[in-house]
Order: sequence, then C-alpha cells, then structure tokens
Amino acid sequence: MSDVTSASRNVLRLAQPRPRWFAPGLLAGIGSAVMAVALLACSAWLITAAAEMPSLAILGMAIVGVRAFAIFRSVLRYLERLTSHDAAFRQLAELRLGIFRRIVPVAPAGLASTGRGDLLTRLVRDVDDLQDLPLRVVQPLLVAGVTAGLSVIGIWLIVPMAGLTLLVCLLLAGLLGTVFSGSLTARADRELAPLRGALADEVLEIVLNLDVLTAFDALTPRLAHLARTDERLRLAALRRSVGVGVQSAVVALCAGVATLSALYFGIPALESGGGLLSPELLVPTLVVAVLVPMAVFEVFGMIPLAIGAWRQVRVSARRVADVVPQAVPAEIPVDGVKPQELFSPDHAVGPVVLELTDLGARWPDQVEPAVAGVTLRLAPGDCVHLAGPSGAGKTTLAQTLVRFLDYTGSYRLNGVEARLLAQTEVRRVVGLCEQRPWLFDDSIRQNLLFARDTATDADLEAVLARVGLAEWAAKRGGLDARVGERGVLVSGGQAQRIALARALLADFPVLIVDEPTANVDSAGADALVRDILTAAADAHRAVLLISHTPVPDELVTLRVTLSARR
Amino acid sequence: MRPLDPRLLRYAHAARRFLLIGALLGFAQTLVVIAFAWLLTRAITLTVAGEPLSTIMPTLAALAGVVVLRSVLIWLLEVAANRGAAQVKSQLRARVMVKLAERGPDWVASQQSARLSTVVTTGLDALDNYFARYLPQLLLTMIATPILIAVIAWQDLASGLTVIIVIPLIPIFMILIGKVTQSVQQEQWQALQRLSTGFLDVVGGLGTLKIYGRERRQFDRIRSITEEYRTRTMTVLRVSFLSGFVLELAASLSVALIAVSIGLRLIDGALLLGVGLFVLLLAPEAFLPLRQVGAQFHAAADGLAAAEELFAILDDDSIATVPAVSTADAAAGANLGAPVADQLGSAAGSLRLAGFTVRRGDTVVIDQLHAEFSPGELSVLRGVSGVGKSTLVAALLGFVPYVGALTLGGVAVAPGASRPWLAWAGQQPGLVRGTVAENVALGAASAQPATIMQALDWAGAADVAPVTVLGVNGDGLSGGQAQRVAAARAIYRAIATDCHVLILDEPSSALDSEAEAGLLAGLRHLADQGRVVIVVSHRPAVIAAADHVLDLQELIHV
Repeated sequence: MSDVTSASRNVLRLAQPRPRWFAPGLLAGIGSAVMAVALLACSAWLITAAAEMPSLAILGMAIVGVRAFAIFRSVLRYLERLTSHDAAFRQLAELRLGIFRRIVPVAPAGLASTGRGDLLTRLVRDVDDLQDLPLRVVQPLLVAGVTAGLSVIGIWLIVPMAGLTLLVCLLLAGLLGTVFSGSLTARADRELAPLRGALADEVLEIVLNLDVLTAFDALTPRLAHLARTDERLRLAALRRSVGVGVQSAVVALCAGVATLSALYFGIPALESGGGLLSPELLVPTLVVAVLVPMAVFEVFGMIPLAIGAWRQVRVSARRVADVVPQAVPAEIPVDGVKPQELFSPDHAVGPVVLELTDLGARWPDQVEPAVAGVTLRLAPGDCVHLAGPSGAGKTTLAQTLVRFLDYTGSYRLNGVEARLLAQTEVRRVVGLCEQRPWLFDDSIRQNLLFARDTATDADLEAVLARVGLAEWAAKRGGLDARVGERGVLVSGGQAQRIALARALLADFPVLIVDEPTANVDSAGADALVRDILTAAADAHRAVLLISHTPVPDELVTLRVTLSARR
Repeated sequence: MRPLDPRLLRYAHAARRFLLIGALLGFAQTLVVIAFAWLLTRAITLTVAGEPLSTIMPTLAALAGVVVLRSVLIWLLEVAANRGAAQVKSQLRARVMVKLAERGPDWVASQQSARLSTVVTTGLDALDNYFARYLPQLLLTMIATPILIAVIAWQDLASGLTVIIVIPLIPIFMILIGKVTQSVQQEQWQALQRLSTGFLDVVGGLGTLKIYGRERRQFDRIRSITEEYRTRTMTVLRVSFLSGFVLELAASLSVALIAVSIGLRLIDGALLLGVGLFVLLLAPEAFLPLRQVGAQFHAAADGLAAAEELFAILDDDSIATVPAVSTADAAAGANLGAPVADQLGSAAGSLRLAGFTVRRGDTVVIDQLHAEFSPGELSVLRGVSGVGKSTLVAALLGFVPYVGALTLGGVAVAPGASRPWLAWAGQQPGLVRGTVAENVALGAASAQPATIMQALDWAGAADVAPVTVLGVNGDGLSGGQAQRVAAARAIYRAIATDCHVLILDEPSSALDSEAEAGLLAGLRHLADQGRVVIVVSHRPAVIAAADHVLDLQELIHV
C-alpha cells in the first residue's frame, strides 16, 4: 500500500466520510459481528453446560442470550448496511464537489487526454467507484479487526495459550492470505492485463471494421490472429489459476489450526487452571474457547474481499489523480490578481474589436505550438471564414480565443490585452460554438435557458426559428422535448443549430463557430453553414467561422487560410 | 433469471466439465465437513469424560489431517472454477466472433458496435465472479445442503426438521422480497438513471458551461442532484437489504432454535452431548452455501447478464443475410468462386443492374432499379439522404441480399462470400492498427511498396507517409487524412488485384477542395485504365468531374 502517491491520497481523503457519518455504521457492524461470534459461543456453552445439568436459572440466561444474539445480529447487520451506505452517499456529494472544484480552473483544455468522451465517462465512473473506500474497504477492515481483537482477548482470558495461538493464526492468515496472495494476484494482473487489453482492442477493431475487413478479404486472417491472442490469454489465465485459491485455502488452514490449538492447550488447562477469567477452567468454558475461533474466522473472511476492493479503489484513485492535474499547467491561463474590466458588470456588453498579432498557442504536455503566427482583425459586422488543412490549429485557435488555452504574441479586445482581463470577462464578449456542442440531458428549453436565464418562451421560440429549428422543435413537442443523454436524440446538425441558438441568445459581440459540419453528413453541411452565417450575421457582431466546407462568397467579408504546420 | 442457464452448457463444453469436477469436489468437501464436526465432537466428549490429552491425541491428529484435507479441497475447487471460467470465456468468445462474421457487416452495423465488443470482452469477464464465487456455492447448495440435512435428521430428528422447515422459507422470502423490490426499483429506475448521469453531464459540459459563465452555479447543482440521488437510492436500498436480512435472520434463528432445543433435551437427559454438539456444528454448515449464493448473487448477476446478451446473439437466427464468410469452410468457398473471379477481373464490360431490388425487413428500399455503369467513365451517384445510396452499395458488396440481375461485362456476378471484382471505400474510414502501408495493402497477400505509393498519390494522400503508425481504429490521422488513406486502400486493391469496379462512398466529405481535386485526378487515372468508377457524392466538384451522373431518386421512381 506504500505506492499510493500523495495525489491519490488527496483523492482518497475526499472519499472517506467524516466520523460523524461513518461511526453509526461502523458501530452497528462491529456489534453485528461480535453478536455472530457470541451466538456460537453461547450456543456451545449452553449445550455443554446443559449436559452437566447445572442450575436452570443460569441455563435460562444462556437461552435468552442465544435468541437475543441471533436476532440482534441480523438487525444490526441490516442497520449497518443502511447507515454505511447512507454515509457513503452523503460523502459522494463532497467527493464530486471536491473533484469538480479542481477540474473547473483547467477544463476543458487542461484535463489530460479527456478530449475523448469515453475517458471522461471513465473519470466520472472512477469518482463514483471511490465510494467503495468507506463501504468495502475501511468498514470491513475495521469491523473484522475489532471483532478479531475482542475475540482474541476473550479467549486469552479463558485459556491464555489458546488466545495467543488464535492471534498468531489470524496474523498468519492475514499475512499469507492477503499479502502473499496479493502479490500473486498482482503478478497475474501484470501478466494478464496487457493480454486482456490486446484482446479487447482486437475485438473492437474487428467489430467496428467488419465491413472493411470483409470487403478486403481480410477477415479470416484477422479472426485467426484474434484466436491466437485469445489462446495466449487463456493459457496465461490457466497458468495463473493455481495461485488464486491459495488465499481461501490458507485461511481455512489457519482456522483449523486455531481450533486444534485451543483443544491442545485447553485440555491440560482443565487440571492446571485457565486464564484470568477462569482460574478453574470448566469444560463448557473450554468448549467456548474451542469453537469461537471458527466464528472469528468467518468474520475474518471479510478481509480478503476488502483487500481486493482496496486494489480497485486504489486504481480508481490513481486514475482520477492522473486526469485531474495537481497544479494548473503553464499552458492554461490563470487570472491575474486584479484583472481589468471591458464593460461594467452591471451593464450589457457593447461592440468589440478583436485583434490578433503573431498569436501562438500550445497544448499542455506538448513541445511544439499547435498554432503560431496568426494575425487577424475582427470588427463588428465582419464575417470571416477561416479555412486550412486539418492539423493547422484551427480548433486550437478557437480554444485560445475563449481563453481555454494561454497564448504567446498579442490578443487584444478593444485594445486591451486579453491576458489582463479576467477569463470570465473575455468569455462575456467572445463566444464559441464548439465542434461537438454539449447538450445537457434535459429539455430543449433548459438547454437554451442557461445562455440567458431571463429569456421568455417567446424569445426561445424566436431564436429556434432563426436557426431553422422551429418546425423540428414543434414536431417533437416544443420546448419541453428532451434531447437525451449527451444529446443522443438529436442529430449532429440539429445539435449545432441548438448550440448556435444558445450563442445567439447570449448575444456575444464576437462569435466563433468551430467546424459546425464536422459531424454532419455532407448533404446537410452546405445548408447548415449557410443557415448559421445568415442567422449570426449582425451589424454589431463579428463572426469567425472555422470550416472546411466551402462557403458562398456573398455570406463572408473575408477569407483567411491557416497553413499547415510541420 | 435462472441460476444456471442451460445454454451455457450447450455453447461452452468447458462448463460441463467444470460442473462435473465441481460436483465431485463439492461432495468431497461435504464429507470433510462432516468428518471435522464428528472428530471435534469426539474430542470434546472424550474431554468431558475426563480422558487425558494422550488418549485424545489420535483424535486430534485425525482432526489435523481433516483440516489439511479441507484446505486442499477448497483450493482445488477455486482452481477448477478459475480454469473453468477461462475456458468457457474463450469458447464463448470464439463462438460469438464466428457468429458475427456469419451474420455479416450489415447485421453488426445494426447493433451498437461498442456494446457488442464490450459484451465479448469485459462483459464476459464478469463471468469470472459467476464461476469463482457463485457456481461453486450453487453446487454446494445442491450437494452439501441435502447431505448435511440428512445427517442432522439421522442424528436428531427434531433438529433435522427445524432445518428442513426453515431452508425452503429462505428462497420463498427472497422471491417475495425480490418482487417487492422490483416494483420499487422500477418506479425509481428512470429517476436514478438520470441522477446518476447528472454528474457526468456537468463535467462533460464544463467547457460549454464556462463559455456561458455558468461553471460556478454547478456546485449547487451537483450537491442537489447527489443529495436527491442519495434519498432515492436509500428508499430502494431499505427494501433491497431486507432480503439479506431475512437470510441472516433465518439462518441464525434456526441455529438458535436448534441450540435451545438441544440444550433443553440435554437437561432432560433425552439426548447425548455427542449428538447435540455434532448437530450444532453441522447446522450452520447446512445454511452456509445458501447464504453464500444469496450474497454472491449480485456479482453473479452481472456475469449472467453478459452471458444472456451473448446467448441472444448466438440464438438469433431470425433474418437470413448473405454470409460474409462461409463459416465452416471459408477456403473451399473461396476456391469455388475463383474461376468466376478470373473471368471478371480481366473482363472489360459495364456493370449492369436490372430489376435490382433490395429489402430491409419488410420495407423495400430499392425497387426494380435499372442502371448501367460503363468502363472508363467516372460515374457519380447522388440522391438525398435516406434514398438508399448506402443500401445499394451494401447490396453490391453482398452485405445485404438482393433480388434481380447484377452483371459485369455480361457475366452474372454471384452474391456471396467473395467479391474479387470490387474495390470499395465506405463512409467511415475503418482504418486498423498498424502502419499506413499495412492499411493500404489490407487483405493483400504481399504488399508492393511502389503500388502503395501510387495508391496514396492517386487518393490525394501523397503527404501521408506510408510508415506512419496508426493506433487502435486508425488513431493518429486527422479525419481528412484518414478518409484519403481509406480511398488509397480501395485504389490499391483495384490496382494490385486488377479489380474491375471501384466504388467510393462519400470519399471527399472531410476533404478541403485541394485534397478533393487530387483525389478526383487519381480517380480519372483509374477510369482511364478501363475501370468502372462509381462515386457516391453530391459535392459540386465531384459532380463537375463526372462523366455520368445518376440521380438515384429519379432512377427508382421512374
């Protein structure tokens, strides 16, 4: 466990609920586990004592004890699960907020390789998986540890040597069963994980490209290759299988040894005398000392599971720590201490002139700038078409203009260097329709309203009409129609139109539209570009359209081509 | 959900073997459990009788032997389960991949490809838990529990009856509670789904939120959706956890009942201590496998669900499509097709469709199409989206069955496994891992570097180095580059294997006009060599370069 970095530790700390939330579940858990041990101890004592026929009063107490332990054990277990889950869910809010607080300053450009949606999903799932830390790691470890400790003390008080051997057996089982088998598992994972990854990649490639592979007669060799990868994985898994059962076997062996030792040391103690609690050791008490280890080891069974869960939690924590940088990278802008203002915060923004001189920008973890030497002037009423081959840095430029990336050279808004302004101030005047607009899993109304929350339904319908979505929205049930998770219910072109409607509502003096046709079939692309430019054109607004789709001359005031960088 | 799906045994022979071995090991484990309880009881009764340690030593030695044997058996069962899981996963995977190849690209495209491949890989890995944790306990429930109950009843009928009465109550209660939970869960499910993706929505849309200056407001939103998630989930859990509660309560209460009843009868002298202790030790063991089955059910459910999806694919024989690979003997099939292919490769004729009809399900997508594509010409096929351009291409590829005549130079082209006359590039680049050169020469027995260079050049992709290494799914190229490399792949096939027909589906949708011009010039070369070149496109530059433009809509509705 020493290989937890401080970054992971910070993440893990966010996942552990505060003691006030955590304690009730823990106490109930310990109570339930202790009752489980006590149930067996009390039953064994009752039977052995009954055979010796002592007073009915004492037996009566034992009978009551047996029934109470049986009931409370289950009741406490139920309460444990409820309260500990409740605590974990409460902490989930803190955990998510803590992570979100760290993401906000660097998103979206500074999140290590989260450009791909699946990695983002992975991050969010990892954050949620961190809930397992209190539920499946800390809680069972503490419950099993405390119960085992209490049992050891109890047995030690009856037959000291039996208590000691139980302690040794528990430690051995813990050590051999978890640490040793942990290294076996880790070795297996190291060997299997790359093979599993290779297999998954191959399967995905075949499934995704089945048409190509079939059409080029390349499927049969691919399937044969996959079969060989599968074979390698299977053989490795078979080789590793010998190690997997060791843990349970060792735990079972230790449990048996603890029982045997209790008999071995306990029988002579019947004559020589027992521990502090039973100076004169009686048979029923001895039987308790013999059978309790069996119950303790059943509780102990939680520990290997907790260790397994810990491994997964650790991996999740590391991934979260990797994706979310500890410090803001140099390429991501940070606001100065006293940023300047372009417009008073209480008033609406006015027209803006944007000037770039020899502007360059670089992505975090990259050596070469992705865009450099851009000089451009955008004034109200301008409509500039920026073209250029892929890889020329068109999207980088867009991200730089809304200050997601820092820049070299000069970027002025109404003559003020953008660096001296707060990022939020820059984004008040420079808006961006992203290449992949994010639609929130909500209604069309909510997806528009957050751009201007004072807008009335009439405003929203008007803007939908401007972007050519009036009919489409009406057909789907108006503003209340949902767009689906990640906008799955909406096509690429419609998503772009919704994004544009949003930007028009916000009424940015400078609007950048980044590759609106990237996810639109070419039949719709020309119409989309034309509609976007018509809707966005305004005497007070400057528009920068980044697109590889040809644009009719009458719609633009200037064409700029960004050349490819080598 | 059935605890053990018979299809698992049908589709994976390794599962049968595991069940047999597991049953034997389970039986041996049961005997060892009984021996342990009996020997322990004997050691204690000897102690009660006042025997010295030396007399009891042989019993203790036997007990030690049983302890060792028990851990060995536990180890063996786990090893067998893990081996079984590995073998079964491998067998199921192989079967599914063959099935996918059999069903062909068109069927696979109609599925969610990401989900499909997840089912085959990580989804199947969920079977690990099913095998390692659940199946062994299920076996023990079926083997150990009846034997143990019989032994208990034989020793003490009253205790045996207690267990016999309680054990069936457990599944009954679990089913009842499961039913209640299900209805609660279904009510909450939609809401929970939305709430659980709420955080993803905020994090994913953070860039958009920052553009609109809304990032600060999300703190409250995250708190409130998470809080609502907690409240709703706890409502569900309060009921869900009841099933575990009933299991535990039934098991521990019946042990308590047995202990008390034995204790009372011991006082009367109606029972011997040896019998009482023996039964007390066995009773929890009778419940243990059933409790484990309950506890592992959720882990197993994931694996079963994955297997279920897989079986659904394997069982699905509903729509007969043209097989992509004639499965049993792909080689033999290819040989049969070979003579026809030779004729076609050198035949210089036009590609003619007559009465060409394609159905998808019950809908007729292309009805009685008559068309002719001449060699040496660049033909452009256009039409509004949804008119069936892609379906037509898929039918020509043999991915979708068709009715009607398809002739090349007057010779009928047989639909089926091989298509030596046709080189094609689809709308998606579909590049694979490896170098650009390997991608361009995909499917060729031996790659010719000169031809690769020529193909890249004619695709307008001379700027892409053939040695460039691509990641999974062609990662490492921009969209436009990938599209040109895909076109180069089709051109390579056309040149290297002398295919007579080249079909490109929207080859320039991601290209700028310069790259598009380069590609069109290359296509002109290919046409000049006497090939039939068909481009599906409506880009003005492509249409301007065409010798012959076919409007699919007009053709169909004439």
